[in-house]
Amino acid sequence: MRLNDPETCRVFDVQRFSIHDGPGIRTTVFLEGCPLRCGWCQNPEAFGHGHAKPMLIAAILAEVLKDESYYALSGGGLTVSGGEPLLHLAPVRALLEGAKGRGLHTCVQTSGAVPQAHFAGVLDLVDLFQFDLKHMDSPRHRQLTGVATERIHANAAWLLQQGANVQFRMPLIPGLNDDAENIDAMAQFLITHGALALCLVPYHRLYVDKYRAMGLEPGVQGLEPPSDARLAQVRQQLEQRGVAVTVEG
Amino acid sequence: MSKLHAKNAAQKARLLNAEHWLCMERARFYTQAHRETEGQHPSLRAARALQCVFANMTVRIEPDELLVGNRSSHLIAPPIAPERGDFIFIFDHLMEELKAFGYRISESDERFLYDELIPYWSGKTVRDAKIAAFRAHGLVSQLSVRPGEIRRKLRSFGARSLWRLVVNGQQKRTVLASMTRLPRLLRALRGGAGDNIKGRGRCTDTQAHIVLGHKNVLRLGFSGIAAAARARQESAQTAEERAFLESVELSCQAMRDFSDRFAAAASAQAADTVDPERRAELDAIADACNRVPWLPPQTFAEALQALWFTQNAAIISYGAGSGITPGRVDQLLYPYFAADLASGALTRPHALRLLEEFIIKLNNNVIIWPNIGGVELNHLGSDVENITLGGVDAQGEDATNALTYLFIQAIANTNLATTASFRVSNKSPKSFVREVVAIHRETNSPAFLNDETAIAAMVRDGYAVEDAREYCLVGCVEPSGNGDTYGATGGSKIYFPTALDLVFNRGKTTFFGNQDGADTGDPAAMATFDDFLTAFYTQLDAMVGWVTDATNLRDAIWAERFHNPLISSTIDGCIANAKDMTAGGARYNFGAVGGGGLGTAVDSLAAIRAMVFDERAMTMGELRDALASNFRGHEALRQRVLAGPRFGNDIPAVDGLARDVVARFCAMVSSRATICGGHFKASLISYGLNVYEGALEPATPDGRGAGRPLSNSMSPSNGAERCGPTATLNSLTRIDHTHIGYGNSLNLRLPVGILRSDKGVESVAHLIRGYFDKGGFHLQFNAVDTATMRAAQARPEDYADLIVRVSGYSAYFTRLGHAIQEDIIGRTEFATCG
Repeated sequence: MRLNDPETCRVFDVQRFSIHDGPGIRTTVFLEGCPLRCGWCQNPEAFGHGHAKPMLIAAILAEVLKDESYYALSGGGLTVSGGEPLLHLAPVRALLEGAKGRGLHTCVQTSGAVPQAHFAGVLDLVDLFQFDLKHMDSPRHRQLTGVATERIHANAAWLLQQGANVQFRMPLIPGLNDDAENIDAMAQFLITHGALALCLVPYHRLYVDKYRAMGLEPGVQGLEPPSDARLAQVRQQLEQRGVAVTVEG
Repeated sequence: MSKLHAKNAAQKARLLNAEHWLCMERARFYTQAHRETEGQHPSLRAARALQCVFANMTVRIEPDELLVGNRSSHLIAPPIAPERGDFIFIFDHLMEELKAFGYRISESDERFLYDELIPYWSGKTVRDAKIAAFRAHGLVSQLSVRPGEIRRKLRSFGARSLWRLVVNGQQKRTVLASMTRLPRLLRALRGGAGDNIKGRGRCTDTQAHIVLGHKNVLRLGFSGIAAAARARQESAQTAEERAFLESVELSCQAMRDFSDRFAAAASAQAADTVDPERRAELDAIADACNRVPWLPPQTFAEALQALWFTQNAAIISYGAGSGITPGRVDQLLYPYFAADLASGALTRPHALRLLEEFIIKLNNNVIIWPNIGGVELNHLGSDVENITLGGVDAQGEDATNALTYLFIQAIANTNLATTASFRVSNKSPKSFVREVVAIHRETNSPAFLNDETAIAAMVRDGYAVEDAREYCLVGCVEPSGNGDTYGATGGSKIYFPTALDLVFNRGKTTFFGNQDGADTGDPAAMATFDDFLTAFYTQLDAMVGWVTDATNLRDAIWAERFHNPLISSTIDGCIANAKDMTAGGARYNFGAVGGGGLGTAVDSLAAIRAMVFDERAMTMGELRDALASNFRGHEALRQRVLAGPRFGNDIPAVDGLARDVVARFCAMVSSRATICGGHFKASLISYGLNVYEGALEPATPDGRGAGRPLSNSMSPSNGAERCGPTATLNSLTRIDHTHIGYGNSLNLRLPVGILRSDKGVESVAHLIRGYFDKGGFHLQFNAVDTATMRAAQARPEDYADLIVRVSGYSAYFTRLGHAIQEDIIGRTEFATCG
């Protein structure tokens, strides 16, 4: 697979009327390939089991532009997700260029685990980075996702230095990353970098049947979504440190 | 916690728990007068019958109510109009089913029904005359086969699925009753006693479906209307004109006498009431009834009383199931509301209480029909009295007002299956759309209508633009003039898939087997898709011809025999023309032809084009054989067509077929004239009947099995939508909605829980605006999720007020039959990314 063919991407879903992936009504394009292996991942198609199909950038763009009028009304646009979309710099840049050319709002959902040059390569074309922070402790992060935090955190800092619009998001996985110590470290990280907002994305189980249908088993099993009370506790802990919290889901 | 006023909560509870009765008062007194007026002019006969009904029927004042006007001897008992014939037919054939389903009738009423009413009306009803006329004009396709063959036919339709439909959700007793009565039902069918005409078309007994001229009643009172009729007498030219004008005066007087009876009853109750608060309320009711609707109202409370009383009386006059519509209630009542608020005579909480009660009353109606085929039509609010809110005024400016918002609140608080139509223009405040979307958090009622499209359609059909801007929604979603139109927006229908059936069988329908239409040639010999399409349109045009001919024959019977001077007196034009509405008195006149199963037909045409002609994946002969055997032994072929392109997925080539079919159908309909001087208008609405509609329709080339439901209204086939709501909306707007004069309906089920967040509400509002910017006419949402509905199926008692929309009106989910419940659940649920 040529990751950086500027003409094509391997796409496993184009989801229209997405309203949880950035402002307004959006179309979210899901690209195959991810350096992480999170046990709670809701998109195992990204792992490359043959669920994606190659699409020409022009074809993706044509699909995205079908809802152009709804983006105009709602301030929405294109969200590129995955997997880790920034693995594929050239085609993603081409896709974002096409979207910006039509005046669409652009959003990239990233794990941060790519070379800094890939962020630099799309910086001028992205209106919003939705940047996942999964765990603050590097060994624990490696345990949970397969990669360390150093490059992720460096990229986050670099994006902020460049003045990029970054929304940090934290998947809240009960028992895995919602302990008080990690939440506190999360707040500290955000304060240190002057980014005083965090979007919590509570764990859900809607994806479990998808794994089964694909003949796979989810990495983590038997987890319950966080209770409202737990969610409120986490929110309170963050807010006490001065971090504004939103909850997506 | 309910925000409903405590007194209204009590009224709502009484309504939800009331027994459903069959009351013969309206039938008895109408018939009594009708017998005494043999030989008189039909307008006079109707007026005298109305006098007799209003003078003798039970007058009820319910506990806690501030607005009065009842229709029968029980809280829930629809007024029965025997002269139409539809009620007689139901009682003659389905009484056991009605009873098994919970309808009650008193012994004396039942004796009267069978000993006097049915014998008297036998041969005299609109239905009797209609069937005779249809036969005389060769419009009936009789089931001319032997009972043994019927069984064979039912089998070929997948009798099991059909039988499941009959059996579903019923007590064993009911099933047995149905079984023993099946031969009788089939005899009735064979005798052409149904509304069926050839080509599987339908033409019901009723017309009506009309927006009452409440504007004239509020402005003039019935005293003023009577005076206008008297003044018009001076220039009356003929005995006919004089008779009609006299009948208007008699009807107005009957309204006054009827209202006086309520005033007297309220006074009498007041005298017996100890509670000073209730006594004062009863005194106020008596005062109001002494004035309105005879005189023009002076206060908001009087205006609402006049409106409700007139609405109620009109429904008594026509009988239930008549689509009598209140119209733009926020516009009609606003001047009184504003004046009373300004003077301090009215508080907003009291206005809200009155509106809540009014909304509860609008839900006090049921269609009399047993549960057959797993379809229940008799839930509260099923005999819709659609109210229209919002939109622009006659000058084209936004007319949303404080009362519009108060109505929104009343509908949310009441949480009944209220049929409310919200007109949205490009001048509507954004907050208006958002607030109506947010009602879905409380109740599933609202429908959204696009002013720009509706007004353009009205103007296209001949309305002056000022009149077009005042349009109101009748029945489910049919736009009609505000008290100036005799529209008969419902009742006549054809099904697009039948045209396919007629092509495949060279002019015969599979079920009835008669040579209804022309032989358009052997489909297997058709060289191109265009040849097939030409044959399809030939059959469709013939079907439209039959149904419009039938409708005109029926309408002529009404014009000749059964007038309605009360309703006519409120409609612009009738007094000026000195003519009953049925005879062409109204300012604007139209007829209606509905088209059903568009999605099924379009998917079928798309499959034929793709599989037979483009890809040559099968021959027409193979397809025809597969259809004839209901895909038995052709499962591979069926799977291939099921995987084919479907309407509703933003595929221009498929959507283009839908656009062409709708445009051609609308042109066929509009080219036909009604007997009153107007033309027919098309609609694409299912009234929630698409399960019935599919029962006698054979297998279709889209892979749908014989007897399965058709697609509903203008929505894509169930399960066809795979690309989300924006794709569906894009598909729908490739059709020019301004051709569809009597409206279309799109039911979209929203993602689970989307309305929990403000972002979700905002996004739905943007969907509506986006759809309307592209020319969409109507949109409504089912925001109830599958899990909720499954739970409701398992424990109906816990979900008694769970409401869903079925094709243009609201229904109580747990009171729907199993088949419809499955149909709703089967509607595609769009996932969103979490």
